[in-house]
Amino acid sequence: MGTAQTLNRSMTLRESSSKHWDEADFRVIFLQHYARIVAILVRLLGDRSPAEEVANDAFWRLYHQPALQIDCNVGGWLYRTATNLGIDALRASGRRRQYEGTAGRLVEERTVAGPLDDLLREEKCRRVRSVLASIKPAQAQLLILRNSGLSYKELADALNVKMSGIGTMLIRAEEEFRNRYLALHPNELHPNEEEL
Amino acid sequence: MTCIDDGILRARLDGELAGTELTEVNQHLAACADCGARFERLSAETARTADLLTTLALVGNDSALNPAVAYAQFRSQFGTADEPKDSWISRLFAPRWRPAWGLAAGTVVVAILVGVSPVRTWAQRVLAMLRVQKIAVVTIDPSTLMTGREPDSRPYKLINQFMADNVVVTMDPGKPDIVPSVTKAAQLAGYPISTIGSLGAPQSIEVNGETAFQMTINRDRIEMLLEEVGRSDIRIPDSANGALIAVHIPRTVISMYGDCPARHSHAISDTQSQAEALAERKMERMASMNNTNCTYLVQAPSPTVSVPPELKMAEIAEAALQLTGMSPSEAHSFCQTVDWSSTMVVPIPRNTSSYETVSVDGVEGTLITETLSQGNRYSLLWIKNGVIHSLAGHGNSSDALTLAASLR
Repeated sequence: MGTAQTLNRSMTLRESSSKHWDEADFRVIFLQHYARIVAILVRLLGDRSPAEEVANDAFWRLYHQPALQIDCNVGGWLYRTATNLGIDALRASGRRRQYEGTAGRLVEERTVAGPLDDLLREEKCRRVRSVLASIKPAQAQLLILRNSGLSYKELADALNVKMSGIGTMLIRAEEEFRNRYLALHPNELHPNEEEL
Repeated sequence: MTCIDDGILRARLDGELAGTELTEVNQHLAACADCGARFERLSAETARTADLLTTLALVGNDSALNPAVAYAQFRSQFGTADEPKDSWISRLFAPRWRPAWGLAAGTVVVAILVGVSPVRTWAQRVLAMLRVQKIAVVTIDPSTLMTGREPDSRPYKLINQFMADNVVVTMDPGKPDIVPSVTKAAQLAGYPISTIGSLGAPQSIEVNGETAFQMTINRDRIEMLLEEVGRSDIRIPDSANGALIAVHIPRTVISMYGDCPARHSHAISDTQSQAEALAERKMERMASMNNTNCTYLVQAPSPTVSVPPELKMAEIAEAALQLTGMSPSEAHSFCQTVDWSSTMVVPIPRNTSSYETVSVDGVEGTLITETLSQGNRYSLLWIKNGVIHSLAGHGNSSDALTLAASLR
């Protein structure tokens, strides 16, 4: 899917006094980005329903930010805002088991690998989300966006950073993620870990 | 070519290099054993992280997602008209914020509330039991706290994170009971219920269940979050670290008069889930569009807050007030004027709100008015017989006093 920053240039530049987006322009942006944003949030939250809630919240905020209509980076804003909200939601959920339960149920419905594999996968998802919720939000955001397939350029647009710094940021974020994960689950060392 | 830094190696690994840069890096990697080894190590580490993170991709099914349908649903859900900006007052005192308000009582530490007044012991850890007996108002800059609207509303996130990580709900209020009469409400609540005589019978009355939760203050965690929002200058007192705070909120009665929006849809579950929080916010928005004729009367016995005796609430309150934009000296001065043993401190926005002390129901009350582009809103707060009353609606302060005069 294309990136975020391809805002339709034919959009009417609205007066700053306007309180919301032009409807037609907003619809274009919604249709362009909605599916990908929901897919990212599903990874983060484990279920379509809260993912769509959070995505709607992000679009609702966008709708009331008419100044962004003349911003070429509206997609970046959306990815940033949606993942900020998603990480907030992940952290705010003191009862993450609800989501993990849902995620587990989804797995159960669709996999053919057998119940043990499903259980293991479910547990792994729970652990990964738990670690994402515990590291710095900016790092969790970078990891989830990169893992969802955003290019360095898209990441730079979404996070308002220089593209040349993305590689280093990824290394640091992944290191933090791995360290936190292994601290919590020391028995889950990857076989290669022993060799390094 | 000098050795390649890890960031570029990572970009090479991710296929993000092109042209001459890619050629140069490839040539160097072929010639430099050190960089080659680092590249291999980086590849292994990246693969290991990817192995964990890609697990998340296996969950969920987006095959049926139709953006056009989603857009139609979005439109029907949120409408297209301009919504009035949420009233700070309504956000604080509107009934739909009662659960959040309950949590706000817990946010105490970061935002509001009481002090220390040892009354009795509790579960051996014994704590001071605090009850709200009076109300004080502090003006703040709301743009710095809990605006909740801006995408990078960091203080809001801070509080959310703190709550999520530290709060354990020990008594879930469940869904509210809609009761047919004031008499029934009083029976359920266990205390007398006032009504606004001049408005006739309430359109609806809800009785919300008891709520209780506990939170443990993790100073390192709070300071880390403060640092994230650029307020590392705020220090959390030593006495707060590890303190267990328990909050109990008795049954609350909400009477609604006039055209009040329906408050409870299927979207509100009985758990404190993130979906619920979102649904609640959404409902709040929808409700704020069309409730100019709606008046709420909330009656809530004082929450009981249990804190360790050594916890210095005034110091915590100082930190909280600094978070709202107050200077350290202002916060310190204010905290000296408040009896933290029994006072609920209500923050109101400096620029759009005013407050005055009035006489209501035979006691002293605080009347807060907020000026918005859609008109004024008021919230009249008073405490009588240990029950906090909040009368909130659209209009001027005189409207509030007229309604309050007909209380019975």
